[in-house]
Amino acid sequence: MTRRIAHALLAVAAALALGACAGSPPHKDNDARVAIYSNPSSLSLVGNTDLNSSQLASVISDGLVAYDAKGDYVPMVARAWELSPDGKTLTFHLRDGVLWHDGLRVTSRDVAYTVAKVKDPATQARSWVSQFTNVAEIETPDDLTVVVHYATTHADALEPWRVPLVPEHVASKDANFLDGDFAHHPIGCGPFRFVSYNPGQSIFLAAFDRYWGGRPALDRVIVKVISNERTAYESLLLRELDLLVVTPDLWRDAQTTPAAARLARFVYYRLNAWKIDWNQDGATPYFKDKRVRRALVLALDRKRFSETVVAGLARPGVSSYPPESPWTDPTIVALPFDPAQSARLLDEAGWRAPSTGGIREKDGTPLTFTLIFPAGAQEIADRIAAWMQQSLAEVGVDMKIEKLKWEAFQKRRKTHVFEAAMVSTMFDMTPDRFDLYHSTANVDGFNFGSFSDAEVDRLLEEGRATVDPGARRAIYDRLQKRLDDLQPIAFLLQLAQPVLHDPDLKGIVSSPVGLYEFAPGLRAWHWSSARGRD
Amino acid sequence: MLPAIASRIATAAVTLFVVTLVVFALLCALPGEPQAGDDASRPLPPEYRAALRAQYHLDDPWPARYGRWVKELLHGELGTSFSAQQPVATMLRERLPVSLGLNALALLAMLGVAVPLGILGAAQPDGRWDRAGWIATTALYAVPVFWTALLLQWLFAIRLGWLPLSGISTDGARHPSSGVALADAVWHLVLPAACLASGGLAYVSRFVRTNIVESTAGEGGRAARARGLSTLQYAARHGVVQAVSPLLTLAGFLIPRLVGGSLLVEAIFNVPGLGSLLFDSILSRDLPVVLALTLLSGLATLVGTTVSDVLILWLDPRVRHAR
Repeated sequence: MTRRIAHALLAVAAALALGACAGSPPHKDNDARVAIYSNPSSLSLVGNTDLNSSQLASVISDGLVAYDAKGDYVPMVARAWELSPDGKTLTFHLRDGVLWHDGLRVTSRDVAYTVAKVKDPATQARSWVSQFTNVAEIETPDDLTVVVHYATTHADALEPWRVPLVPEHVASKDANFLDGDFAHHPIGCGPFRFVSYNPGQSIFLAAFDRYWGGRPALDRVIVKVISNERTAYESLLLRELDLLVVTPDLWRDAQTTPAAARLARFVYYRLNAWKIDWNQDGATPYFKDKRVRRALVLALDRKRFSETVVAGLARPGVSSYPPESPWTDPTIVALPFDPAQSARLLDEAGWRAPSTGGIREKDGTPLTFTLIFPAGAQEIADRIAAWMQQSLAEVGVDMKIEKLKWEAFQKRRKTHVFEAAMVSTMFDMTPDRFDLYHSTANVDGFNFGSFSDAEVDRLLEEGRATVDPGARRAIYDRLQKRLDDLQPIAFLLQLAQPVLHDPDLKGIVSSPVGLYEFAPGLRAWHWSSARGRD
Repeated sequence: MLPAIASRIATAAVTLFVVTLVVFALLCALPGEPQAGDDASRPLPPEYRAALRAQYHLDDPWPARYGRWVKELLHGELGTSFSAQQPVATMLRERLPVSLGLNALALLAMLGVAVPLGILGAAQPDGRWDRAGWIATTALYAVPVFWTALLLQWLFAIRLGWLPLSGISTDGARHPSSGVALADAVWHLVLPAACLASGGLAYVSRFVRTNIVESTAGEGGRAARARGLSTLQYAARHGVVQAVSPLLTLAGFLIPRLVGGSLLVEAIFNVPGLGSLLFDSILSRDLPVVLALTLLSGLATLVGTTVSDVLILWLDPRVRHAR
């Protein structure tokens, strides 16, 4: 018996020793290791996508076009294109010799197949489907030409064609697109090819030697899935990761922790903002008045919030056209912190403070409302809400807070059963904001507050129908001025993306769409020759 | 013995049915629904949304959807995950070994430390060892598990660098054989297993100690001492045997934890097991996954308690004769 126990203990010790050997990291001369905080929802390139899967897809497969770091379109699989003067016909000329990762050529048939897949509801291509609803027909006269016919003039005609291409000869073999061979072992035509996926652990990508744009400098990219932010940060400090986007708390920690001193760091801004939809459908007596909407924003000291709460990693939001958008009118700036003007506007609108102080009233109705927001991973929402409550109380406005589960929040917002709704939102690079502001977009769009203004409607419609870039810019400049005057939605804060990385990892460029979903993105990353790694 | 087992299984089947029904009804009663409206940066076309709703039968009343689920289950189908779009069975197959491995290691570590501690304590109740063991294990019990986890990580992974910080495999390691891969996984699971085990040391060791003390105080104990055995010798040779059946009952209830008792620890140590899957699927209202995990944990309870009952019947003549 004793001998048996001794043998068992020896076996465990041997296993641990063996584990220790396997546990020492193998030499990784030319790999980059990055982290994401949750599993990608799918590897199918276009189906059932979330942010993680979109980022991976953009590395594994190219579209016909891509954004560059500034957000302008650059040719990818398409080498050139022409848009007809009426904005209804778009002709792409594909590069000859672009290869899929299995060595076959990319042809126009693959482009048509990708669009068919995106439009099929079974694919659940949530990120892409709405961009293709205006595509009436696709012709493929030869292997290297694609002619797209839009049903109506499509000023942002190139925008859908960033969609990662799907190889027909591989994906069409699967009966179930989202759970077939292709969805588990995707093949693309991008700079990195898919190698393996271990759910909850890591995704391995390797450089594609025959990439049309030249082989990437890195040999492999290892994307680790680490759900806990602090664990990911410690992994970075232990040199188990080479780059990480961190939270404001960890960013602050990295300023003082000696182990983090060696890391290089930068911040950048994506096209996102924390916004508040004010319900203007008449359910509340105050939000229909633009003076009230403006006054509520003027009462908030957003710079101070940024400095004290999020380590300076936020700036006051301006509008739905963040400074990073190429369409932004630079003359429009964020509303200042001006409690005196806020009080004056509220007085003008008839919401006066009682002589005894306290909550403002108009005809016996107190200025009180409830802010709803979704509970989730972003604890910053609680801090924003609490800060707003305190700031608004100082100008005599009573704001209550209601935190909801995401699904419940979605439902309340879509059915317009709310007074004010706060959420973080993301914009795309196009200037089109039809879904956000058009009076008809309160049914199936994002105009949750039922904002309605004839001038805004007209400009949104004109913008969509105008192809000439100069004329378009003039329209959207006018739109932005009008929106600045009306303040239909409050854009509170734009949060920065703080990045920590190994100082020897070079070529990292950020763009308003992130670190990956643009050209050259990950392809430009490389290790410096002076790298002193273990 | 067989009729007893059969009746146990029948009761458990009814219980499982009721539990899944309640879970199904509760998840359906929550406001909002999965897939209904997670728009991307642009709104989904209404007809597209309608097609998705039809695909998941979201417009049917919940009893009809539950009926469909039970029917599929009887055909051996666990359904498809809403969020991962994969068969639930595949997801469970991927994660079950990880959770089993982690929790089995934790259980082994817990019993391996707690039983000797209990014996040592029983040898001299209220003696030096008994008190020291009691204080140490109670302190571990009192510390929140995430705190223990962070302390273990800080000490063994960050300060000393002896053990891996998180995950279950070393990135980039091209394992020449599955044996090395297994050793690598065990190596990675040492800290999370220790963390899981630490909380249970107090009650298991006290449980063992109390049972031995009770048996030592009885006639057998007196007779053994009369034969010249020391208390420790008696406790180790005979007391443990007498404590086996209550310990097995306790183990029967610990078995279900093998599949889902490690939610927080899995999250902190980044272990892709069933606990983290349950957490994610409840958050995303992934009904098929939540139901499958409910079923699995119910089954584990059934198996655990039945096996421990059978073992007690087999090992303990007193119980056998009482029947």
